[in-house]
Amino acid sequence: MRKVTMLAIATFLSAADVSQVIESPDATAILKKDALPAPKAYVMPEGCISNDAGAIARGKYIFHNLNGKDAKQNPPEGLSRTLADGKPKQMGNCVACHNIEGADGYGNIGPDLTNYKALYMDSGVRDAQFVYQKIADPRIDNGQTHMTVNLTNGLMNEREVCDLTSYIMAVKK
Amino acid sequence: MRRLTVCAALLSAALCGVLNAEEKMSMSDADKAMYAELLENNPAEMDVAEGEQLFGDLIGAEGYAKMLGVNEKDLAAYLAGFPRYVEPAKKVVTLSQTIQMAAATAKKPVPKLESKEMVKMTAYVKSLANGEKTSIDVKANKHMEQMLKLGQQVFEERRGGRGLSCNSCHSADIVGQRLRMQPLPDLGAKETAAAGTWPAYRMTQSQMVTLDKRFQQCMNNALLAKIPLGSREMVALEVFITNKTKGNEIQIPGLKR
Ligand code: HEC
Ligand code: HEC
Repeated sequence: MRKVTMLAIATFLSAADVSQVIESPDATAILKKDALPAPKAYVMPEGCISNDAGAIARGKYIFHNLNGKDAKQNPPEGLSRTLADGKPKQMGNCVACHNIEGADGYGNIGPDLTNYKALYMDSGVRDAQFVYQKIADPRIDNGQTHMTVNLTNGLMNEREVCDLTSYIMAVKK
Repeated sequence: MRRLTVCAALLSAALCGVLNAEEKMSMSDADKAMYAELLENNPAEMDVAEGEQLFGDLIGAEGYAKMLGVNEKDLAAYLAGFPRYVEPAKKVVTLSQTIQMAAATAKKPVPKLESKEMVKMTAYVKSLANGEKTSIDVKANKHMEQMLKLGQQVFEERRGGRGLSCNSCHSADIVGQRLRMQPLPDLGAKETAAAGTWPAYRMTQSQMVTLDKRFQQCMNNALLAKIPLGSREMVALEVFITNKTKGNEIQIPGLKR
Protein backbone atom coordinates (compact mmCIF):
# COMPACT_ATOMS: atom_id res chain seq x y z
CA MET A 1 0.00 0.00 0.00
CA ARG A 2 2.71 2.41 1.05
CA LYS A 3 4.79 1.36 -1.93
CA VAL A 4 1.97 2.29 -4.27
CA THR A 5 1.56 5.75 -2.75
CA MET A 6 5.29 6.34 -2.88
CA LEU A 7 5.34 5.36 -6.51
CA ALA A 8 2.52 7.73 -7.27
CA ILE A 9 4.31 10.59 -5.56
CA ALA A 10 7.54 9.76 -7.31
CA THR A 11 5.87 9.78 -10.70
CA PHE A 12 4.83 13.40 -10.40
CA LEU A 13 8.25 14.60 -9.43
CA SER A 14 10.38 16.53 -11.79
CA ALA A 15 14.14 16.57 -11.32
CA ALA A 16 13.81 20.05 -9.87
CA ASP A 17 11.85 19.10 -6.76
CA VAL A 18 13.70 15.91 -5.97
CA SER A 19 14.63 17.62 -2.72
CA GLN A 20 11.07 16.97 -1.54
CA VAL A 21 11.55 13.20 -1.33
CA ILE A 22 14.50 13.33 1.03
CA GLU A 23 13.51 12.28 4.52
CA SER A 24 14.45 15.20 6.70
CA PRO A 25 12.39 15.22 9.90
CA ASP A 26 12.49 18.25 12.18
CA ALA A 27 14.37 17.45 15.40
CA THR A 28 14.08 20.83 17.12
CA ALA A 29 11.12 19.83 19.29
CA ILE A 30 12.90 16.66 20.43
CA LEU A 31 16.03 18.61 21.34
CA LYS A 32 14.08 21.32 23.10
CA LYS A 33 12.31 18.80 25.27
CA ASP A 34 15.61 17.06 26.01
CA ALA A 35 17.43 20.25 27.04
CA LEU A 36 19.21 20.44 30.37
CA PRO A 37 18.19 23.14 32.88
CA ALA A 38 20.83 25.75 33.77
CA PRO A 39 23.43 24.81 36.43
CA LYS A 40 22.04 25.14 39.94
CA ALA A 41 23.72 25.54 43.32
CA TYR A 42 22.21 23.57 46.21
CA VAL A 43 22.38 23.64 49.97
CA MET A 44 22.46 20.18 51.44
CA PRO A 45 19.19 19.59 53.34
CA GLU A 46 19.04 19.17 57.12
CA GLY A 47 19.91 15.65 58.28
CA CYS A 48 21.18 14.66 54.85
CA ILE A 49 24.21 12.66 55.93
CA SER A 50 23.32 9.51 57.77
CA ASN A 51 25.04 6.48 59.28
CA ASP A 52 21.82 4.55 58.91
CA ALA A 53 22.50 1.19 57.25
CA GLY A 54 19.35 1.55 55.11
CA ALA A 55 20.44 4.88 53.64
CA ILE A 56 23.93 3.58 52.91
CA ALA A 57 22.53 0.44 51.30
CA ARG A 58 20.37 2.57 49.00
CA GLY A 59 23.31 4.79 48.11
CA LYS A 60 25.39 1.74 47.34
CA TYR A 61 22.68 0.28 45.13
CA ILE A 62 22.25 3.51 43.16
CA PHE A 63 26.02 3.81 42.78
CA HIS A 64 26.58 0.33 41.39
CA ASN A 65 23.54 -0.13 39.14
CA LEU A 66 22.53 1.30 35.77
CA ASN A 67 18.77 1.01 36.08
CA GLY A 68 15.99 -0.96 37.73
CA LYS A 69 15.48 -3.16 34.71
CA ASP A 70 19.00 -4.53 34.35
CA ALA A 71 19.93 -4.70 38.04
CA LYS A 72 20.70 -8.26 39.13
CA GLN A 73 19.79 -7.83 42.79
CA ASN A 74 16.54 -6.48 44.14
CA PRO A 75 16.81 -2.95 45.51
CA PRO A 76 17.00 -2.40 49.29
CA GLU A 77 14.02 -1.06 51.19
CA GLY A 78 12.95 2.43 50.15
CA LEU A 79 14.05 2.05 46.54
CA SER A 80 12.05 0.58 43.66
CA ARG A 81 12.96 -0.88 40.31
CA THR A 82 10.19 1.10 38.65
CA LEU A 83 8.84 4.64 38.70
CA ALA A 84 5.22 5.59 39.38
CA ASP A 85 4.53 5.49 35.63
CA GLY A 86 5.85 1.93 35.39
CA LYS A 87 9.05 2.84 33.55
CA PRO A 88 12.32 1.44 34.91
CA LYS A 89 13.98 3.72 37.45
CA GLN A 90 17.37 5.01 36.34
CA MET A 91 20.08 4.44 38.92
CA GLY A 92 23.39 6.35 39.09
CA ASN A 93 25.69 3.97 37.25
CA CYS A 94 28.47 5.87 39.02
CA VAL A 95 30.66 2.79 38.73
CA ALA A 96 30.84 3.36 34.98
CA CYS A 97 33.26 6.18 35.75
CA HIS A 98 34.45 5.67 39.36
CA ASN A 99 36.20 2.98 41.32
CA ILE A 100 35.08 2.49 44.94
CA GLU A 101 35.24 -0.35 47.51
CA GLY A 102 33.88 -3.58 45.99
CA ALA A 103 33.37 -2.11 42.50
CA ASP A 104 33.05 -4.62 39.70
CA GLY A 105 34.12 -3.60 36.19
CA TYR A 106 34.52 0.05 37.08
CA GLY A 107 35.57 2.80 34.66
CA ASN A 108 38.18 5.48 35.27
CA ILE A 109 36.80 8.65 33.68
CA GLY A 110 36.21 10.06 37.17
CA PRO A 111 38.49 9.95 40.22
CA ASP A 112 38.82 6.82 42.36
CA LEU A 113 36.47 7.22 45.33
CA THR A 114 37.99 4.38 47.38
CA ASN A 115 38.77 5.25 51.01
CA TYR A 116 37.10 8.61 50.42
CA LYS A 117 36.52 9.52 54.05
CA ALA A 118 40.11 9.04 55.16
CA LEU A 119 41.67 10.55 52.06
CA TYR A 120 39.37 13.46 51.33
CA MET A 121 37.12 14.23 54.28
CA ASP A 122 39.35 13.68 57.32
CA SER A 123 42.12 15.65 55.63
CA GLY A 124 39.69 18.54 55.22
CA VAL A 125 39.97 18.95 51.42
CA ARG A 126 36.33 17.97 50.98
CA ASP A 127 33.16 18.25 53.01
CA ALA A 128 29.68 16.75 52.74
CA GLN A 129 28.28 19.89 51.08
CA PHE A 130 30.92 19.59 48.33
CA VAL A 131 30.07 15.95 47.63
CA TYR A 132 26.33 16.70 47.70
CA GLN A 133 26.70 19.54 45.19
CA LYS A 134 29.01 17.46 42.99
CA ILE A 135 26.41 14.71 42.65
CA ALA A 136 23.41 17.07 42.43
CA ASP A 137 24.98 19.30 39.76
CA PRO A 138 28.73 19.06 39.10
CA ARG A 139 28.69 22.00 36.68
CA ILE A 140 28.74 24.50 39.56
CA ASP A 141 32.38 24.01 40.50
CA ASN A 142 33.50 22.71 37.10
CA GLY A 143 31.85 24.12 33.98
CA GLN A 144 33.69 21.62 31.76
CA THR A 145 32.94 18.52 33.84
CA HIS A 146 32.35 15.18 32.14
CA MET A 147 30.27 13.98 35.08
CA THR A 148 26.52 13.35 35.00
CA VAL A 149 23.94 15.78 36.40
CA ASN A 150 21.60 14.06 38.85
CA LEU A 151 19.32 16.48 40.70
CA THR A 152 18.76 19.54 38.48
CA ASN A 153 17.37 17.32 35.73
CA GLY A 154 15.17 15.31 38.09
CA LEU A 155 17.01 12.02 37.55
CA MET A 156 17.17 11.69 41.33
CA ASN A 157 15.49 13.30 44.29
CA GLU A 158 17.14 15.02 47.27
CA ARG A 159 17.00 11.94 49.42
CA GLU A 160 18.73 9.82 46.80
CA VAL A 161 21.53 12.36 46.49
CA CYS A 162 21.82 12.25 50.30
CA ASP A 163 21.92 8.43 50.20
CA LEU A 164 24.75 8.54 47.65
CA THR A 165 26.65 11.16 49.65
CA SER A 166 26.25 9.09 52.83
CA TYR A 167 27.50 5.98 51.04
CA ILE A 168 30.60 7.66 49.58
CA MET A 169 31.49 9.20 52.96
CA ALA A 170 30.86 6.02 54.95
CA VAL A 171 33.77 3.91 56.20
CA LYS A 172 33.63 0.69 54.20
CA LYS A 173 35.19 -2.70 54.75
CA MET B 1 53.40 0.35 25.67
CA ARG B 2 51.58 2.51 28.16
CA ARG B 3 50.98 -0.55 30.31
CA LEU B 4 54.69 -1.29 30.36
CA THR B 5 55.43 2.19 31.61
CA VAL B 6 52.82 1.87 34.33
CA CYS B 7 54.18 -1.50 35.36
CA ALA B 8 57.73 -0.22 35.43
CA ALA B 9 56.63 2.71 37.54
CA LEU B 10 54.78 0.50 39.98
CA LEU B 11 57.63 -2.04 40.15
CA SER B 12 55.12 -4.58 41.29
CA ALA B 13 54.45 -7.77 39.44
CA ALA B 14 51.25 -8.39 41.36
CA LEU B 15 49.76 -5.03 40.42
CA CYS B 16 50.81 -5.44 36.81
CA GLY B 17 48.92 -8.70 36.81
CA VAL B 18 45.81 -6.87 37.90
CA LEU B 19 46.21 -4.26 35.17
CA ASN B 20 46.61 -6.96 32.54
CA ALA B 21 43.49 -8.74 33.70
CA GLU B 22 41.56 -5.49 33.53
CA GLU B 23 42.64 -4.71 30.01
CA LYS B 24 41.42 -8.06 28.87
CA MET B 25 38.00 -7.42 30.36
CA SER B 26 37.15 -4.92 27.63
CA MET B 27 37.05 -7.84 25.21
CA SER B 28 37.07 -11.39 26.54
CA ASP B 29 39.44 -13.92 24.96
CA ALA B 30 36.44 -15.59 23.32
CA ASP B 31 35.35 -12.22 21.88
CA LYS B 32 38.83 -11.56 20.59
CA ALA B 33 38.89 -14.95 18.85
CA MET B 34 35.50 -14.20 17.32
CA TYR B 35 36.72 -10.79 16.18
CA ALA B 36 39.74 -12.35 14.45
CA GLU B 37 37.51 -14.89 12.77
CA LEU B 38 34.99 -12.28 11.59
CA LEU B 39 37.82 -10.13 10.28
CA GLU B 40 38.60 -12.95 7.86
CA ASN B 41 34.99 -13.40 6.95
CA ASN B 42 32.86 -10.35 7.76
CA PRO B 43 29.16 -11.37 7.79
CA ALA B 44 28.27 -7.91 6.47
CA GLU B 45 29.90 -8.76 3.12
CA MET B 46 26.62 -10.55 2.39
CA ASP B 47 24.65 -7.41 3.17
CA VAL B 48 26.84 -5.35 0.86
CA ALA B 49 26.31 -7.90 -1.92
CA GLU B 50 22.55 -7.72 -1.34
CA GLY B 51 22.87 -3.94 -1.36
CA GLU B 52 24.48 -4.14 -4.78
CA GLN B 53 21.57 -6.18 -6.09
CA LEU B 54 18.96 -3.86 -4.59
CA PHE B 55 20.75 -0.77 -5.84
CA GLY B 56 21.12 -2.23 -9.32
CA ASP B 57 17.40 -3.02 -9.51
CA LEU B 58 16.38 0.36 -8.16
CA ILE B 59 18.80 2.81 -9.73
CA GLY B 60 22.09 1.56 -11.16
CA ALA B 61 25.44 3.32 -11.09
CA GLU B 62 24.84 5.13 -14.38
CA GLY B 63 21.58 6.77 -13.37
CA TYR B 64 22.98 7.48 -9.93
CA ALA B 65 26.07 9.26 -11.28
CA LYS B 66 23.89 11.22 -13.69
CA MET B 67 21.55 12.34 -10.92
CA LEU B 68 24.59 13.54 -8.93
CA GLY B 69 25.99 15.23 -11.99
CA VAL B 70 29.33 13.39 -12.05
CA ASN B 71 31.08 11.09 -14.51
CA GLU B 72 30.80 7.43 -13.61
CA LYS B 73 34.57 7.14 -13.55
CA ASP B 74 34.79 9.96 -10.99
CA LEU B 75 32.07 8.47 -8.80
CA ALA B 76 34.37 6.79 -6.23
CA ALA B 77 36.31 9.97 -5.50
CA TYR B 78 33.07 11.97 -5.34
CA LEU B 79 31.45 9.52 -2.92
CA ALA B 80 34.46 9.76 -0.59
CA GLY B 81 33.51 13.40 0.03
CA PHE B 82 30.09 12.85 1.64
CA PRO B 83 28.20 14.31 3.41
CA ARG B 84 28.25 17.18 0.94
CA TYR B 85 26.09 19.86 -0.62
CA VAL B 86 24.35 18.59 -3.74
CA GLU B 87 22.57 20.96 -6.06
CA PRO B 88 19.37 18.96 -6.79
CA ALA B 89 18.77 18.66 -3.03
CA LYS B 90 19.71 22.27 -2.33
CA LYS B 91 21.28 21.16 0.92
CA VAL B 92 23.94 19.01 2.56
CA VAL B 93 22.95 15.35 2.36
CA THR B 94 24.20 11.90 3.36
CA LEU B 95 24.73 9.02 0.95
CA SER B 96 21.45 7.45 2.12
CA GLN B 97 19.59 10.62 1.21
CA THR B 98 21.13 10.62 -2.29
CA ILE B 99 19.76 7.10 -2.72
CA GLN B 100 16.31 8.48 -1.92
CA MET B 101 16.82 11.22 -4.50
CA ALA B 102 18.04 8.77 -7.13
CA ALA B 103 15.11 6.42 -6.53
CA ALA B 104 12.66 9.29 -7.00
CA THR B 105 14.43 10.44 -10.14
CA ALA B 106 14.16 6.90 -11.52
CA LYS B 107 10.45 7.05 -10.61
CA LYS B 108 10.85 4.18 -8.20
CA PRO B 109 9.49 3.80 -4.66
CA VAL B 110 11.67 5.76 -2.24
CA PRO B 111 13.16 3.52 0.47
CA LYS B 112 12.88 4.76 4.05
CA LEU B 113 16.08 5.68 5.89
CA GLU B 114 15.16 3.21 8.63
CA SER B 115 14.67 0.28 6.25
CA LYS B 116 17.01 -2.71 6.06
CA GLU B 117 17.24 -2.19 2.31
CA MET B 118 18.55 1.33 2.83
CA VAL B 119 21.29 0.15 5.20
CA LYS B 120 22.43 -2.41 2.66
CA MET B 121 22.32 -0.02 -0.29
CA THR B 122 24.14 2.69 1.66
CA ALA B 123 26.89 0.22 2.53
CA TYR B 124 27.18 -0.85 -1.09
CA VAL B 125 27.28 2.69 -2.45
CA LYS B 126 29.91 3.68 0.11
CA SER B 127 31.94 0.56 -0.70
CA LEU B 128 32.28 1.91 -4.25
CA ALA B 129 34.71 4.35 -2.63
CA ASN B 130 36.74 1.64 -0.86
CA GLY B 131 40.42 2.50 -0.96
CA GLU B 132 39.70 6.22 -1.34
CA LYS B 133 40.44 8.52 1.58
CA THR B 134 37.55 10.36 3.24
CA SER B 135 37.74 13.80 1.69
CA ILE B 136 34.90 15.84 3.17
CA ASP B 137 35.34 19.56 2.48
CA VAL B 138 33.80 21.56 5.30
CA LYS B 139 34.90 24.82 3.71
CA ALA B 140 33.42 24.03 0.28
CA ASN B 141 30.52 26.47 0.72
CA LYS B 142 28.47 28.22 3.38
CA HIS B 143 26.12 25.24 3.69
CA MET B 144 28.98 22.99 4.75
CA GLU B 145 30.36 25.62 7.09
CA GLN B 146 26.98 25.94 8.77
CA MET B 147 26.57 22.19 9.08
CA LEU B 148 30.01 21.77 10.65
CA LYS B 149 29.13 24.41 13.20
CA LEU B 150 25.76 22.84 13.95
CA GLY B 151 27.40 19.40 14.21
CA GLN B 152 29.86 20.61 16.80
CA GLN B 153 27.03 22.24 18.72
CA VAL B 154 24.99 19.01 18.74
CA PHE B 155 28.11 17.07 19.76
CA GLU B 156 28.79 19.33 22.71
CA GLU B 157 25.26 19.99 23.96
CA ARG B 158 24.62 18.39 27.33
CA ARG B 159 21.10 17.02 27.47
CA GLY B 160 18.94 14.01 28.32
CA GLY B 161 18.37 12.04 31.49
CA ARG B 162 21.95 12.28 32.76
CA GLY B 163 22.95 15.65 31.34
CA LEU B 164 25.66 14.13 29.15
CA SER B 165 26.87 15.17 25.71
CA CYS B 166 28.77 13.19 23.09
CA ASN B 167 31.74 15.21 24.25
CA SER B 168 31.40 13.88 27.82
CA CYS B 169 32.75 10.56 26.59
CA HIS B 170 34.54 11.45 23.36
CA SER B 171 36.45 14.63 24.19
CA ALA B 172 40.19 14.52 23.51
CA ASP B 173 41.13 14.63 27.19
CA ILE B 174 39.44 11.33 28.09
CA VAL B 175 40.05 9.21 25.01
CA GLY B 176 41.46 5.84 26.05
CA GLN B 177 39.95 5.99 29.54
CA ARG B 178 37.33 3.46 30.45
CA LEU B 179 33.58 3.73 30.75
CA ARG B 180 32.85 0.60 32.76
CA MET B 181 35.12 -1.79 30.89
CA GLN B 182 34.90 -0.06 27.52
CA PRO B 183 37.91 1.97 26.40
CA LEU B 184 36.63 5.24 24.95
CA PRO B 185 37.56 5.44 21.28
CA ASP B 186 39.13 8.46 19.63
CA LEU B 187 36.58 8.89 16.86
CA GLY B 188 39.17 10.44 14.55
CA ALA B 189 42.11 8.12 15.14
CA LYS B 190 43.49 5.88 12.40
CA GLU B 191 42.52 2.71 14.26
CA THR B 192 38.93 3.92 14.80
CA ALA B 193 38.51 5.92 11.59
CA ALA B 194 34.82 6.27 12.36
CA ALA B 195 33.83 7.84 9.03
CA GLY B 196 35.72 5.33 6.87
CA THR B 197 34.59 2.17 8.65
CA TRP B 198 30.79 2.52 8.89
CA PRO B 199 28.48 0.88 7.86
CA ALA B 200 30.04 -1.86 9.94
CA TYR B 201 29.09 -5.23 11.34
CA ARG B 202 28.58 -4.80 15.10
CA MET B 203 29.38 -8.00 16.96
CA THR B 204 27.31 -6.98 19.97
CA GLN B 205 24.28 -6.44 17.71
CA SER B 206 24.91 -9.23 15.22
CA GLN B 207 24.02 -6.93 12.36
CA MET B 208 25.32 -4.22 10.09
CA VAL B 209 24.80 -0.69 11.38
CA THR B 210 25.21 2.70 9.68
CA LEU B 211 27.16 5.56 11.25
CA ASP B 212 24.06 7.57 12.07
CA LYS B 213 22.46 4.48 13.65
CA ARG B 214 25.65 4.11 15.71
CA PHE B 215 25.17 7.67 16.95
CA GLN B 216 21.64 6.74 17.97
CA GLN B 217 22.95 3.74 19.91
CA CYS B 218 25.24 6.02 21.94
CA MET B 219 22.29 8.37 22.51
CA ASN B 220 20.21 5.45 23.76
CA ASN B 221 22.91 4.18 26.11
CA ALA B 222 23.58 7.60 27.57
CA LEU B 223 19.87 8.53 27.93
CA LEU B 224 19.95 11.26 25.28
CA ALA B 225 16.72 11.52 23.26
CA LYS B 226 17.25 9.89 19.89
CA ILE B 227 17.58 12.42 17.04
CA PRO B 228 15.77 11.03 13.94
CA LEU B 229 17.76 9.85 10.91
CA GLY B 230 17.94 12.42 8.13
CA SER B 231 17.23 15.41 10.37
CA ARG B 232 19.45 18.46 9.93
CA GLU B 233 21.04 17.79 13.31
CA MET B 234 21.84 14.18 12.47
CA VAL B 235 23.39 15.09 9.11
CA ALA B 236 25.36 17.84 10.87
CA LEU B 237 26.67 15.33 13.43
CA GLU B 238 27.81 13.12 10.56
CA VAL B 239 29.58 16.10 8.97
CA PHE B 240 31.34 16.86 12.24
CA ILE B 241 32.48 13.27 12.93
CA THR B 242 33.46 12.65 9.31
CA ASN B 243 35.61 15.76 9.35
CA LYS B 244 37.44 14.43 12.44
CA THR B 245 38.54 11.38 10.49
CA LYS B 246 39.29 13.14 7.21
CA GLY B 247 42.03 11.38 5.26
CA ASN B 248 41.41 7.92 6.66
CA GLU B 249 40.85 5.16 4.14
CA ILE B 250 37.34 3.92 3.39
CA GLN B 251 36.94 0.19 4.09
CA ILE B 252 33.35 -0.97 3.91
CA PRO B 253 32.01 -3.04 5.58
CA GLY B 254 33.84 -2.35 8.84
CA LEU B 255 33.92 -4.65 11.84
CA LYS B 256 33.20 -3.32 15.32
CA ARG B 257 32.67 -4.66 18.78
C1 HEC C 1 30.34 9.89 32.76
C2 HEC C 1 31.27 9.84 33.84
C3 HEC C 1 30.81 9.95 35.28
C4 HEC C 1 29.72 9.39 35.90
C5 HEC C 1 28.66 8.48 35.30
C6 HEC C 1 29.77 9.82 37.27
N1 HEC C 1 30.85 10.61 37.48
FE1 HEC C 1 31.45 11.42 39.28
N2 HEC C 1 32.98 12.38 38.36
C7 HEC C 1 33.33 12.25 37.03
C8 HEC C 1 34.45 13.11 36.73
C9 HEC C 1 35.12 13.26 35.36
C10 HEC C 1 34.79 13.77 37.94
C11 HEC C 1 35.93 14.77 38.16
C12 HEC C 1 35.66 16.09 37.50
C13 HEC C 1 34.69 16.88 38.29
O1 HEC C 1 34.87 17.01 39.49
O2 HEC C 1 33.75 17.39 37.70
C14 HEC C 1 33.84 13.28 38.94
C15 HEC C 1 33.85 13.67 40.29
C16 HEC C 1 33.06 13.11 41.28
C17 HEC C 1 33.15 13.40 42.70
C18 HEC C 1 34.14 14.37 43.35
C19 HEC C 1 35.37 13.67 43.82
C20 HEC C 1 36.30 14.66 44.45
O3 HEC C 1 36.40 14.63 45.67
O4 HEC C 1 36.87 15.47 43.73
C21 HEC C 1 32.19 12.65 43.34
C22 HEC C 1 31.90 12.62 44.83
C23 HEC C 1 31.48 11.91 42.32
N3 HEC C 1 32.04 12.19 41.08
C24 HEC C 1 30.42 11.05 42.56
C25 HEC C 1 29.65 10.44 41.55
C26 HEC C 1 28.40 9.74 41.79
C27 HEC C 1 27.76 9.52 43.14
C28 HEC C 1 27.93 9.34 40.56
C29 HEC C 1 26.65 8.64 40.21
C30 HEC C 1 25.44 9.25 40.61
C31 HEC C 1 28.91 9.76 39.58
N4 HEC C 1 29.92 10.44 40.21
C32 HEC C 1 28.81 9.49 38.21
C33 HEC C 1 32.70 11.44 36.09
C34 HEC C 1 31.52 10.72 36.30
C1 HEC D 1 28.37 7.70 28.30
C2 HEC D 1 29.43 7.64 27.35
C3 HEC D 1 29.18 7.98 25.90
C4 HEC D 1 28.43 9.00 25.35
C5 HEC D 1 27.65 10.10 26.08
C6 HEC D 1 28.55 8.86 23.92
N1 HEC D 1 29.33 7.80 23.60
FE1 HEC D 1 29.90 7.19 21.71
N2 HEC D 1 30.89 5.59 22.51
C7 HEC D 1 31.03 5.31 23.86
C8 HEC D 1 31.78 4.08 24.02
C9 HEC D 1 32.16 3.43 25.35
C10 HEC D 1 32.07 3.61 22.70
C11 HEC D 1 32.81 2.33 22.33
C12 HEC D 1 31.86 1.19 22.48
C13 HEC D 1 32.35 -0.13 21.98
O1 HEC D 1 33.54 -0.31 21.80
O2 HEC D 1 31.48 -0.96 21.78
C14 HEC D 1 31.49 4.58 21.78
C15 HEC D 1 31.56 4.48 20.39
C16 HEC D 1 31.13 5.45 19.50
C17 HEC D 1 31.28 5.39 18.06
C18 HEC D 1 31.93 4.26 17.29
C19 HEC D 1 33.40 4.49 17.11
C20 HEC D 1 33.99 3.46 16.16
O3 HEC D 1 34.04 3.74 14.97
O4 HEC D 1 34.37 2.39 16.62
C21 HEC D 1 30.74 6.54 17.55
C22 HEC D 1 30.68 6.93 16.09
C23 HEC D 1 30.22 7.31 18.68
N3 HEC D 1 30.47 6.63 19.84
C24 HEC D 1 29.57 8.54 18.56
C25 HEC D 1 28.91 9.17 19.62
C26 HEC D 1 28.03 10.32 19.45
C27 HEC D 1 27.75 11.04 18.16
C28 HEC D 1 27.55 10.62 20.70
C29 HEC D 1 26.54 11.67 21.11
C30 HEC D 1 25.28 11.63 20.49
C31 HEC D 1 28.14 9.69 21.64
N4 HEC D 1 28.95 8.82 20.94
C32 HEC D 1 27.92 9.70 23.01
C33 HEC D 1 30.57 6.10 24.90
C34 HEC D 1 29.74 7.22 24.78
